[in-house]
Amino acid sequence: MSAGSFSGGIRLSISDVSANKPFERIIPSGVVTIPLRQDLGGVCNAKVKKGDEVKVGQVIGESATPEGASIHATVSGKVAEVIKAYPHLLGGFVPAVVIESDGKDEWVGLESSADPLTTIQQAGIVDFDIKPVPLVAKLNEAKSRRANALIVNAMDIEPVLSSRSRLLSERVQEVACGIDTIKSIIGAASVYIAVDENAAQAISAIGSACGGAATIVGLNPKYPQAIDLLLVKSILGKEVPCTEAYCVADIGALVLSVETVAAVGRAMAEKKPVVDRFITVTRSNGTGAKNVQVRIGTPIREVLGHCGISVEGMGKVISGGPMMGTAIANTETPVTKEVLGIFVQHEKDITRFDAAVCIKCGLCVEICPVGLMPFIISGFSEKGMYSKAQDNDIFTCIECGCCAYVCPVMIPMVHWIKFGKAQIMAQRSSE
Amino acid sequence: MKAPELVVSATPHIHSGNSVRKMMLSIIIALLPAVGMGCYLYGFAALKVIAISVISAVAWEAIFQKMMGREITVSDLSGAASGLIFAMLLPPTLPWWIIIIGTLLLILLGKEIYGGRGCNPFNGVLVAYVALQLSYPQQMIAWAIPEGDLMTEFPPLQVLRDEGVSSLAMYFTNKDLLLGIPIIGAIGEVSKVALLLGGIFLIIRRTISWYIPASFLLGMVIFSGIFWLSDAEQYASPVFHLLAGGGFLAAFFLATDPTTSPVTKPGMIIYGLLCGVLAMIIRMWSQWIDGAYFAIFIISMLTPLLDKIKPRVYGRVKASVSS
Ligand code: SF4
Ligand code: SF4
Repeated sequence: MSAGSFSGGIRLSISDVSANKPFERIIPSGVVTIPLRQDLGGVCNAKVKKGDEVKVGQVIGESATPEGASIHATVSGKVAEVIKAYPHLLGGFVPAVVIESDGKDEWVGLESSADPLTTIQQAGIVDFDIKPVPLVAKLNEAKSRRANALIVNAMDIEPVLSSRSRLLSERVQEVACGIDTIKSIIGAASVYIAVDENAAQAISAIGSACGGAATIVGLNPKYPQAIDLLLVKSILGKEVPCTEAYCVADIGALVLSVETVAAVGRAMAEKKPVVDRFITVTRSNGTGAKNVQVRIGTPIREVLGHCGISVEGMGKVISGGPMMGTAIANTETPVTKEVLGIFVQHEKDITRFDAAVCIKCGLCVEICPVGLMPFIISGFSEKGMYSKAQDNDIFTCIECGCCAYVCPVMIPMVHWIKFGKAQIMAQRSSE
Repeated sequence: MKAPELVVSATPHIHSGNSVRKMMLSIIIALLPAVGMGCYLYGFAALKVIAISVISAVAWEAIFQKMMGREITVSDLSGAASGLIFAMLLPPTLPWWIIIIGTLLLILLGKEIYGGRGCNPFNGVLVAYVALQLSYPQQMIAWAIPEGDLMTEFPPLQVLRDEGVSSLAMYFTNKDLLLGIPIIGAIGEVSKVALLLGGIFLIIRRTISWYIPASFLLGMVIFSGIFWLSDAEQYASPVFHLLAGGGFLAAFFLATDPTTSPVTKPGMIIYGLLCGVLAMIIRMWSQWIDGAYFAIFIISMLTPLLDKIKPRVYGRVKASVSS
């Protein structure tokens, strides 16, 4: 099946640095640091203390709520420390467990359970997307809103990433099993697999594994097609009503990353919890690009070392991709469930946005995939006129960065828009 | 091993590389065919006007920025590009001091007095053009005579005004009008082929979008077409109106000025159509023989209004739900 595109969006000049290569496995040799919060669900309670022996797959952080996702040890060895306040990727501090590996890689599997939702909860599965939400919470929401279309998103959010299409082609069995499980949990009538129309390998692999059970939708990889709002529009032809807290379940759809679906398949068939991430590592000049299967908790430094990326002249390390990723302060930061990829920029490639005057060229308006007037909402946020920014639908902005990317005077529009949203939320909560 | 100092800043982390300087450079490159034709037709006189206009525009820009304590931004080439576009509108005989007055008004009233780039309500080139038309009307129509087999010493639109439709075919073929050889007019406006090449270049480079030029020319064709269909004896054909006068230069290089034109696609299309129609109205029924430039000057006053036409927002729900 082919599907409609959307207006706006862009083919980024940087797309060709992507590495469509097989996953290489990275098993950390020394210590791993596992933060006890890795999704939007909340902080988990530590289940281990200093000196405990742990095995791979053992629960070390238990979710405080029944919908949350557990956190597991990703190496076997000894707990070296339980840190109370470890800097979190997105700001703030959370507890973290530091484990010293004994190099033996001994496992414990998941306990069997009749209820797949329990298995998913215990396996610590979240939706591996820009905002990682615990999967059980997402499934419950979809069920309560009677979502009847499951969309497996095998399109990479940003064009430099290729881990999703790679995962689809390498792990078809897991994906197929995951689809079956989720389909029966939410009672979905139809299943779509969204994939980059150029990823022929992935398309043929999943096509033969799934048979007629799922519709494969090849999409034009124009950025940011893989964002769920645009995905449902292209596939189902419907738009999600954008209130402040919108949700694609409102139109009866559930969009899950292919990595999430594969994790469900692995938990069901092999009784294995989430201990690995499947991510793409790229560099702004295209060298050293790799897909890696890496244990959660591995310092990003070690991942870069594996890819042969030296710290020489390194200017920015980004968790995620260059358009929407978060710049991290320190390469000791561990890989977590929030990390969608790693993008490294050389010092001289760093983009510096500026406090400039808009020339009203309209390029940002033309490019915005959700039909906003970026320069207007950014301008109002900058001037502190938040109600005007809201009148111009600031909360519909998906923070894709296209506007700032094309702006000839380099106004940091996404910065101002995020700032405006945060101010509005802060004002609300203080009222 | 020393850990590197990492930069932490907001998204996105990459940029298209687009800049004002690049856009202005594209405009300058796009005008080169027209510059070449102007120099081919009028020789050194045209070159002199162009040089005076560009150099004085850049100089005025630097002087005013210095005086007003702003950053000197001549390296963004916007002054140079404005000076070049301005020269395209002038007759090759214009005395040097009028050109310099023109560029003074261009930079001062078209840019610096309002706070610099991006803040001006009017396109500086048009401000200067209108001012010179009103202050020095004689000098502004003192056409030079190019070499070649000339049938007339007047620009095509003047001939239309003075002698009527029936005589046009005698003086001009469509091919002459298209190439601009030998046609009388302002330095940069006569060769439609040269302007079209430049315009297409700008559209391919995405310096401009096609919305304004296409709707501008369409507006001219529709309006002149209605009259031509009703009475072809009295009104010239849309083809003639497209190929004579300043329609192409106006549509591709003046109406597309980012700051003074609307920002949305529907806004741009309405803007272009209105410009095209008004250009024809002025051409047919006013004292001026060509209205293309005046039309933009006037319609750009509607830009704030046209900017109220917003694009369709994704998933828009009624305000009552969200509040
Ligand atoms: S960041 Fe927001 S405003 Fe800018 S293009 Fe993306 S959706 Fe539109
Ligand atoms: S792209 Fe930049 S300069 Fe152009 S309208 Fe948008 S904010 Fe203004």
